[in-house]
Amino acid sequence: MSFEDSEGTPIAGDLADGSPAAAAGPELTTRPAPPPGASEEEYANHSYKVYPSGRRNVVEFDNTYKSFGRNQILRGLTMGIPEGMVSMILGPSGTGKSVCIKHMVGLLYPDSGDVRVQGESVPDMPDEQLFEMRKKFGLLFQDGALFSSMNLYDNVAFPLRQHTEKSEQEIEEIVMRRLTEVGLGYSRDKLPNELSGGMRKRAGFARALVLEPDILLFDEPDSGLDPVRTALLGELILEIHREMMEDAKAQKKPYLPTFAVVTHDIMSARRVADYINVLWRGRIVEAGPAQDMLNSDNPFIRQFLAGESQGPLTMD
Amino acid sequence: MATTAVDRVFAPTRGVLQEAGEMMILTGRTIVSAVKPPYPYGAEFVGQFMFALRLCWFPLLVSTVAFGYEAPGLQAANFLVLFGALDRLGGFFVLASIREFAPFVDAIVLAGVAGTAITADLGARRIREELDALEVLGVDPIKNLVVPRFLALMLVTGLFDIYALLFGVFGGVLATLVNHQPLGPFWATFFNNASTTDLWGSVVKTTLFGAIIAVVCCYKGMTAKGGAEGVGRAVNEAVVIAFLAIFAFNYVFTQVLLATHPALTDIVK
Ligand SMILES: Nc1ncnc2c1ncn2[C@@H]1O[C@H](COP(=O)(O)OP(=O)(O)OP(=O)(O)O)[C@@H](O)[C@H]1O
Ligand SMILES: [Mg+2]
Repeated sequence: MSFEDSEGTPIAGDLADGSPAAAAGPELTTRPAPPPGASEEEYANHSYKVYPSGRRNVVEFDNTYKSFGRNQILRGLTMGIPEGMVSMILGPSGTGKSVCIKHMVGLLYPDSGDVRVQGESVPDMPDEQLFEMRKKFGLLFQDGALFSSMNLYDNVAFPLRQHTEKSEQEIEEIVMRRLTEVGLGYSRDKLPNELSGGMRKRAGFARALVLEPDILLFDEPDSGLDPVRTALLGELILEIHREMMEDAKAQKKPYLPTFAVVTHDIMSARRVADYINVLWRGRIVEAGPAQDMLNSDNPFIRQFLAGESQGPLTMD
Repeated sequence: MATTAVDRVFAPTRGVLQEAGEMMILTGRTIVSAVKPPYPYGAEFVGQFMFALRLCWFPLLVSTVAFGYEAPGLQAANFLVLFGALDRLGGFFVLASIREFAPFVDAIVLAGVAGTAITADLGARRIREELDALEVLGVDPIKNLVVPRFLALMLVTGLFDIYALLFGVFGGVLATLVNHQPLGPFWATFFNNASTTDLWGSVVKTTLFGAIIAVVCCYKGMTAKGGAEGVGRAVNEAVVIAFLAIFAFNYVFTQVLLATHPALTDIVK
């Protein structure tokens, strides 16, 4: 589907009521076999349904397998991140959400299967092209991954200095705007090890944003934040997405800004998500626009989105 | 099962071979990356160079004087005194200090002090995902982190060889004086035996030691895993591997140098 096709479709929150796909829900004709070494029973709750988003996918996983030694993490993952939406990737702790994000930017390579970004296969890219491709991404690592030798200001300014010819004055303007947005304007000269975990997280968030890239990946932006800041961060994400959408449309960019957020916070998922991917045991259980997912009758999805202890997911 | 038994026996060996192979690849990529433009690593190079200099000059001074005075100095002197040939100590120092002791002490101090610092630093950055973040931000860690360390350690180790030589020979002078002998014969036999080949051979050798230390220590740091404990393990392994690699390389280098420059084996009175 091309950019023009998606012009007419509703965006952000209003997808839920309008889209005709929401009502029907696709029926799968053939059910994929469970991964090698696993029983059909373990995947009984995987309905593999994907409710249509009406958008093309900017990031696609195609039957991706990845294991670390004997530890199989991605086990035939097929997943899409639709363009111009705020997508959530939800899943129990340790299922491989962070691993999944690292595949998108070529920090990890699949054992088999493919990962495509804007239609191009990441594992097949030569180094030069990979470095170019990475400029399309902003990435907030789960632990912030700030450069410990630089203060906050230099950390956030780093991508700008690396990839743009902007003057120090322009850089300062952008950096301070972003730092202020995440409430760190007064901490600009602090070193990362002088900050709390939540503050490092917010600084990492600011650093991921400064270049306003096509694709923004946030690995648990809200973990380690207090409830109020979590809610505010959710709003900030939506606001920034809205702004970037307007810019992209005004500038007729070939790709609309796409956000993918990994989170455990169901409340923010409900508030912020346009699209939800639920990952478990290395595969997508179900995926689709937020409203479809919230109405899903899949027991795993219901349990997970309601955060209940009763259901298919247990401690092991 | 047969295959698993074989696997178990050979798995450690395969791990070692694989690591050795990966270090070779890293060496190749580092050299290519150092030569190919652009060259953004100037500042980091100077920083690393000064860092190694600052860390190593004092430990190296102490070790070379102590080592030069003690092993080839006092011990050899005690031995030579038996023959009434202490005046030959200078000649012995050319063989011992320039060719072997100074380069070794130099490499050991550099690996133990600067190399471990590199592994710990890169390892910590790996664990905190800083290296991943750099890569995603379009910064090639090989060009920006490994190349400057590689060049800086080569230069520092090469320069420190001369420094180690000077202080090592000073140790020999001390040993001569302690034995109440004049220094004239020491210097006479020293310069009779010293050749420029000895000197450049020593400097080239230590420069390559520096390259080995840098590659091993960068590799171990960049591949550290398993939290803070993993960084400790990486540092430990880096030192052991660097020493072994230096011993092995030294053997080969000395053999080749002696074979291609037979004059070096003549002892001049
Ligand atoms: N580089 C690696 N080497 C070995 N194992 C790894 C590596 N990275 C991740 N793993 C393993 O992969 C599994 C999934 O890790 P991942 O960090 O993706 O989980 P997650 O879904 O992000 O969990 P959480 O929500 O707790 O962050 C874990 O069991 C982890 O031990
Ligand atoms: Mg994670």
